Amino acid sequence: MTELIVEPPDFVRERALLEKTWGKNRGLLGWLSETGHKPIGLRYIVTAFCFFALGGIEAALMRLQLSRPNNHFLNPDLYNQLFTVHGSTMMFLFAVPVMLGMAIYFVPLMVGTRNVPFPKLNAYGYFVYLAGGLFLYVMFFLGAGPDAGWFSYVPLSGPAFDPGKRADTWAQMITFTEFSALIVAVEIVVCAFKQRAPGMSLNRIPLFVWSMIMVSFMIMFAMPAVMLDSTYLLFDRTFSMHFFNRAEGGDPIFYQHMFWFFGHPEVYIIFIPGLGFISSIVTAFTQRKIFGYVAMVSTLVITAFMGFSVWVHHMFATGIPQLGSSFFTAASLMIVIPTGVQIFCWTATLWSGRLRIATPLLYVFGFFVVFIVGGLTGVMLGSVPIDWQVHDTFFVVAHLHYVLIGGAVFPLFGALHFWFPKWTGRMYSEALGQLSFWFLLIGFNVTFFPMHLLGLYGMPRRVYTYDAGTGWSPMNALASMSAMLIALSILTMLMNFARYRQRGPLAGPNPWNADTLDWAVASPPPSYNFLHIPVVAGLHAVWDAAPDQAYVTGIRFDKREVLVTKTLDAEPDHKHELPGHSLAPFLLAVTTTIGLIGSIFFGWWFTVGMVLSGVVLIYWSWPRREEVREQLLAEEAR
Amino acid sequence: MTQRVIDVSALEEETADSRAVLWWGNLSMMAIEGAIFAMLIATYLYLRVVNLDWPPSTVPRPDLLWPSINLGILLLTFAPALILDRAALRDNAPLCRLALAACVVAGAAFLVIQFRVLANLGFKWSDHAYGSVVWTCVGYHMLHVLSATAETALLFVYALVRPILKKQRLDFRCTAVYWYFVILMWLPFYFIVFIEPHLTRKGY
Repeated sequence: MTELIVEPPDFVRERALLEKTWGKNRGLLGWLSETGHKPIGLRYIVTAFCFFALGGIEAALMRLQLSRPNNHFLNPDLYNQLFTVHGSTMMFLFAVPVMLGMAIYFVPLMVGTRNVPFPKLNAYGYFVYLAGGLFLYVMFFLGAGPDAGWFSYVPLSGPAFDPGKRADTWAQMITFTEFSALIVAVEIVVCAFKQRAPGMSLNRIPLFVWSMIMVSFMIMFAMPAVMLDSTYLLFDRTFSMHFFNRAEGGDPIFYQHMFWFFGHPEVYIIFIPGLGFISSIVTAFTQRKIFGYVAMVSTLVITAFMGFSVWVHHMFATGIPQLGSSFFTAASLMIVIPTGVQIFCWTATLWSGRLRIATPLLYVFGFFVVFIVGGLTGVMLGSVPIDWQVHDTFFVVAHLHYVLIGGAVFPLFGALHFWFPKWTGRMYSEALGQLSFWFLLIGFNVTFFPMHLLGLYGMPRRVYTYDAGTGWSPMNALASMSAMLIALSILTMLMNFARYRQRGPLAGPNPWNADTLDWAVASPPPSYNFLHIPVVAGLHAVWDAAPDQAYVTGIRFDKREVLVTKTLDAEPDHKHELPGHSLAPFLLAVTTTIGLIGSIFFGWWFTVGMVLSGVVLIYWSWPRREEVREQLLAEEAR
Repeated sequence: MTQRVIDVSALEEETADSRAVLWWGNLSMMAIEGAIFAMLIATYLYLRVVNLDWPPSTVPRPDLLWPSINLGILLLTFAPALILDRAALRDNAPLCRLALAACVVAGAAFLVIQFRVLANLGFKWSDHAYGSVVWTCVGYHMLHVLSATAETALLFVYALVRPILKKQRLDFRCTAVYWYFVILMWLPFYFIVFIEPHLTRKGY
């Protein structure tokens, strides 16, 4: 099918035409009707970081409260709300959405296409996420912040012990955020399986994209569990149902099963994208092919599957049968194997490559240190006797922050530095980047390592204060002081980015000489991504490209046309026109919000929301007259 | 200077079969909803295990007549859904319209009867955990029939006033597949809500 043509000298006219077809509209309405994957991906990332900042402020307030014994800076009620909102924000409004934003931004670029398969749905997913986050914070500032912990266990969060709307706020926020996560998951799976550039067969998909595919599958089967669980909670609270009411045949433990059937995969949903970032960074900063590609992909798949079989290790203290405990202990310990294989593959890659020590790679090293400590305490917690001993103490707080900050935030910050030139077209300051890394590494360890010991000394989690006689004061003071270093690290990073976003030296398309297709386009990428859909010649698309590497012609520039390829070997299959900008996603998000928020006050608001959404959906899907005419002409012409 | 290219201008524009991205989107949505259905059934089974008295002794044995008629209606909907699927593939517009109309009528009939069935269950969602899970299962499935019916109705109206092109034929086929899904998903619910209480009754 490959043929030779005489290449025109430049493509000024073509580029202008593509920009006209794919470019953004101006003004507020233009912003609300945007459907491009890059603007939406960036919105996810920026919004998630705003929530990260809010969650960080909540953490700082809590550390201030715990910095000395018998402190009365915060009252117990506010403290309860703070740790609940902090946990919920970091898990549901920061960690997952920021990873999904990275996926939405980079997966279409890395597989070599122009946009995600369902652009309007994608825009809708963002607005729903935004609405859910704002809803939580509005309720929090109105004094109705949820206060039963980020997993909101019944019966504490049930109708008997949590009157008012606090638990409802939490439960409905879940619905919003999981909705958006499910939408992104579908986008990623379909994009990665159907829209890859010709030549990118399954065994040439970059590890970043593989990690996002596995995360998407995990989302599709884990998120429904928490949506259903929080819906049961809402039903118990709003409609007097009895899912978790022991007196009427319900079961509170069932809440925990459903929650952790989601909750443990959630940890992997947050951490597997980090593996993708690390593979990208390690490949670029060693300038060598990744060691053990097949092993890496298969361990990703194994981790994703095994992530579903370990949830009960969060519930060892609930008195589940011994046999069950043993099974889940074994499964929990086994999941170390695939993660270990990955760490050894990266080590082998680093060992045999030419290292370029820069901020992104430093963050990868930081990940190794912090995450391995978190993994080791995870193995400890996976065994029942230790778990019983330290359950609900600060040991668990230390463990989960080591795993999540080590497994997700370190790689993420590395990725932010790595892709900063791609987003802005400018280089960040290496000195400031390294400074922020060392602040974070030291600040994080000095803040959270003492918490292991505090836990072993018996300090329970979620207490708003403690007595001086407990002996917990020095380490708490240390942790609180060192938390300032973490804040300093984030501020340094933000300053670095803000300052060098417009003033940094020009980066060019590929400053790191990295291997994936996102580096084959200009920085920042144009709205249409690729002038020509590329043809991929190997696993490392940029490195393996021949000097006259083939590309695809015959995709129209005056329509939003993309190439759909075959799932296994990515041979060209057919052309597909994507929808353009539209206000419908925003309107649908508004009607969804009306329905979901209204229904925690009065059930019939759900019906109102559904009817309104139905009307918007008709507007959403009804084709415009000129579109139909054009298609009709096209079909008659054939 | 010469350049190697792969020219795709001759490739088909859009497709109405399983190669389309919408087809894959539809499958993904059904996978997600299938997971929710599975978890609803898991809820029922879990609560059944932890309760000694299940269904609660106050719950009458379910009347089988109307639920079974309704099951029959839903199973019969397979026919117009299949016809819609095939007719869309063969570009037979009149048959598509007919099949769409038949699906709407069948879906509406099912919903009306299902309301009656719910009203005659003999217990409410707020009576006990059994009531909660049964009402949620039936309600959740009705929501699916409602959305399938509404979507089919919209496509029917569209098919009356506008030409049926390839994109619409793909929509029809995805809707037909969604009907298969909605029909199949009712079978386990029908079994646990109406049959199972007749077969075994813990606590008797």
